[in-house]
Amino acid sequence: MEDRLREAVARSHADYTEARWEQVTRSRVAFQRDQLMALESGEEAGGIVRCLVKGAWGTAVFTDPADLPRKVEEATHLARTASAHVKDPVALAPVEPVEARWEGAMKRDFRGVSLDEKRRLAEGYNKFLLGFAPEIASTSVRYTDAWRNVIYANSEGTYIEQGIPDVTLMVAAVARKNGDIQQGFESLGYAAGFEVAQGREEDAAKAARRAVDLLSAKPVQGGTYTVILDPDLAGVFIHEAFGHICEADFLLKNEPMRKVMQLGTPFGVRSLNVVDDGYRPGERGNTPYDDEGVPWTKAYLIKNGVLTGLMHSRVTAHKMKAVPTGNARAVSWEYEPIVRMRNTYIEPGTATLDEMLRGIERGLYACSAFGGQTMFEQFTFSAAYGHEIVNGKIGPMVKDVVLTGNVFQTLQNIEMIGNDFKLEGSAGGCGKGGQWPLPTTTGAPHVRVRNVTVGGR
Amino acid sequence: MDILNRVGSKAEAAELYEELRGGIAVSFNGGEIETAGSETVLGRALRVIAGGKLGFASTAGGSDDALVASALGAASHGDPAPFRFAAGDRTPVVPVPVLDPAVEAIGVDQLIAWGEEAVRRINGEFPHLIVNASLGRGTIEVVVRTSTGAERREKRSYLSMSVSAEQIKKGDIWSVYGSQFVRRAADLDRDALLDDVLRQLRWGSAIAAPPTGTPPVLFMPTGVPVLLLPLMTGFSGMSVFLGTSPLKGRLGEAAFDERFSLTDDGVIPFGPRSRTFDDEGVPAGRLPLVERGVIRSFYYDLRAAALAQATSTGNGIKGSPLGGGGFRVPPGPAPRNLVLAPGAGSLDDLIREMKDGLVVAGVLGLGQGNVHSGAFSNNVGVGFAVKGGKVVGRVKNTMIAGNAYNVLKEGIRAIGSTPEWVFGGLHLPPLLVERVSVVAQQP
Repeated sequence: MEDRLREAVARSHADYTEARWEQVTRSRVAFQRDQLMALESGEEAGGIVRCLVKGAWGTAVFTDPADLPRKVEEATHLARTASAHVKDPVALAPVEPVEARWEGAMKRDFRGVSLDEKRRLAEGYNKFLLGFAPEIASTSVRYTDAWRNVIYANSEGTYIEQGIPDVTLMVAAVARKNGDIQQGFESLGYAAGFEVAQGREEDAAKAARRAVDLLSAKPVQGGTYTVILDPDLAGVFIHEAFGHICEADFLLKNEPMRKVMQLGTPFGVRSLNVVDDGYRPGERGNTPYDDEGVPWTKAYLIKNGVLTGLMHSRVTAHKMKAVPTGNARAVSWEYEPIVRMRNTYIEPGTATLDEMLRGIERGLYACSAFGGQTMFEQFTFSAAYGHEIVNGKIGPMVKDVVLTGNVFQTLQNIEMIGNDFKLEGSAGGCGKGGQWPLPTTTGAPHVRVRNVTVGGR
Repeated sequence: MDILNRVGSKAEAAELYEELRGGIAVSFNGGEIETAGSETVLGRALRVIAGGKLGFASTAGGSDDALVASALGAASHGDPAPFRFAAGDRTPVVPVPVLDPAVEAIGVDQLIAWGEEAVRRINGEFPHLIVNASLGRGTIEVVVRTSTGAERREKRSYLSMSVSAEQIKKGDIWSVYGSQFVRRAADLDRDALLDDVLRQLRWGSAIAAPPTGTPPVLFMPTGVPVLLLPLMTGFSGMSVFLGTSPLKGRLGEAAFDERFSLTDDGVIPFGPRSRTFDDEGVPAGRLPLVERGVIRSFYYDLRAAALAQATSTGNGIKGSPLGGGGFRVPPGPAPRNLVLAPGAGSLDDLIREMKDGLVVAGVLGLGQGNVHSGAFSNNVGVGFAVKGGKVVGRVKNTMIAGNAYNVLKEGIRAIGSTPEWVFGGLHLPPLLVERVSVVAQQP
């Protein structure tokens, strides 16, 4: 395939051409209650060609490798057709051509672990959950692994081969009592080997205990609170609330917003530092080379409370006179790269949890994330559970905790940043522009924010 | 050699699913075409029952041998198959019309022209808005064959258009979105789509104070999924079997308002998720889920049906009700086209009737939360305040919360008369309800 790719991009008549071919080996085990819902392993392969002609893109997605030369012509033709309608042509920021081969490290290569052993691992967690308490009515356990072999070539001479491991585990328990149904779950995801999914009984216990506890939790009372976000949720918060608006593709045709996102603008308290990092050993968001062949960087988005960087593709970097940061990522061979996050986190501060609790008469301790969504400066994210904070102490459990706000105000409202940093790769993934689930990692310490709107009854 | 033959004596039974997707798409960013693309994708999935045990594997661009080996390998570690693959059915299946040759004739120039027209219309009235759009057309050909004699083949066409208009000012950013997904070229009503987007843009020109407490809330068709999403899980035969559905054991019970009737209809001619057969080769049909408030049936794929000692309702679908899936995932119970029976009164009538309240056109965080229990809590992404029966402007920093099962039993005030297709396969009228709590930061 290497020769085919190199030859296809070299022969192209487009202004710029790139081709990516991926071979994915994956397996999956899923249990629900007493049912083995999925047990599978397999391989797939497919590719995408992207051509730039006079400032417009043409793309072609295919699964038959013999189609490659024809797909380059097709993408070129589509780009040419589109270019006749373009007034503001797209162009690429320069990057040095690269020849590279990279492989993610695994302590125990999951490709050598039998499907039977993967099944036994998941089944063990499932049995543990089912036997945890009489209230547990059902369970869901899902293990997945995938090895992505990505080869990439472009007409500027770049050729890269990458082997990217990905392992996820999700354990969930459903508890039922008097018609009420509650769920507790824990999940993890790493760019690592089988070892990270082993020995997770404590996670299963946490999930089951929470499902049972939520049966007696009250729904949170809606209103405005001082909130302490636990590290899991604070990580999702910075991803949802802030990360997405730092993805420069959304600023590309958006001059007013580019002014708002001007580098050097104060965005939060002085102790706030936010990073999007292309490589942290073993983390799920790792992108050693992005899907435009750009090597990883560690980019400070906020340093000492000031906006210092954005995440770029080659197109956005050209438009905004910046340097490509290695954030152009595609969720699979079926898609073109768009600007996405990698490992995004808030750096630790100095406060302890006790210091954060002090002085809160009536607040909320919001923990673990169901998920989140962003619409520019408006964001929302839901906690898996929470606790009331009463007179500086963590009180009774509450459920259905959903937080919302305006990112600019909320960042200014951060009061304290904890000293207890944690990175968290979940089993889910980030969605944008129809591309989901993209592996990302989020991280943070505890964070205290005033004046947060919480939905509820 | 044919793949079912290749499985041959190594398994008692096999089922092959193939999909061939082909199409073109264009995307506009900031009012201008950015990308034109094409796809030709062949995906396949094989299920086998070998030694009594079930195995699954899928591939794209892979060899027959590898696919067979993976499926047999999975079966060797699998559990006993609780069901049988579809058998050859001698009763003729009535084909559902889902292919329009006119769709395949639409070229990339045509899609670009439609996108440019959308940009012109919106920027003509709202010059400062940033308009993004995507349009696509194509076909998906699905073949399901089993060693037990089923052989189904169907080619379905699609044509889609979505448009968003965004206003960006510091401290006041908002976005309105509209989309259509149709199977027949003549069904793409570009004017209706743009009219809807423009109406919401006009409604939202001013900012209004959100009503709070428990005001009447009018869900536009694009907002109704907040209430229906828990039901899509709750009516799944698998959720019922596993005990995670609150509807378990309640067939025949009046669990909803008597004006509430919900049907899963897989055979609407040219319906967005219509099909002659499901992804397991079982003929599709029409399934009443709720009739005048009474729970009538749950939907089943072959596996859930066998476990629950029921019959497959032709709801074995690869992917969730809101899309996704495809050849990579095994089939599971999911609705085809969910149709909520309309009532009386246009959208304007309902707005007049509610006097003071909140209109919800879309939320952030749909489906995040405890979907099983019916609890919802969402930021209102696109919503409007109503005063004295008139829309007075859009709301900001507003959250709604409640329980869908509770709202649909005790809280329905009126069901509108004007259903629309949203999110692909949902045909929904506007719904005016109570018992939703609204929390907001006052501007």
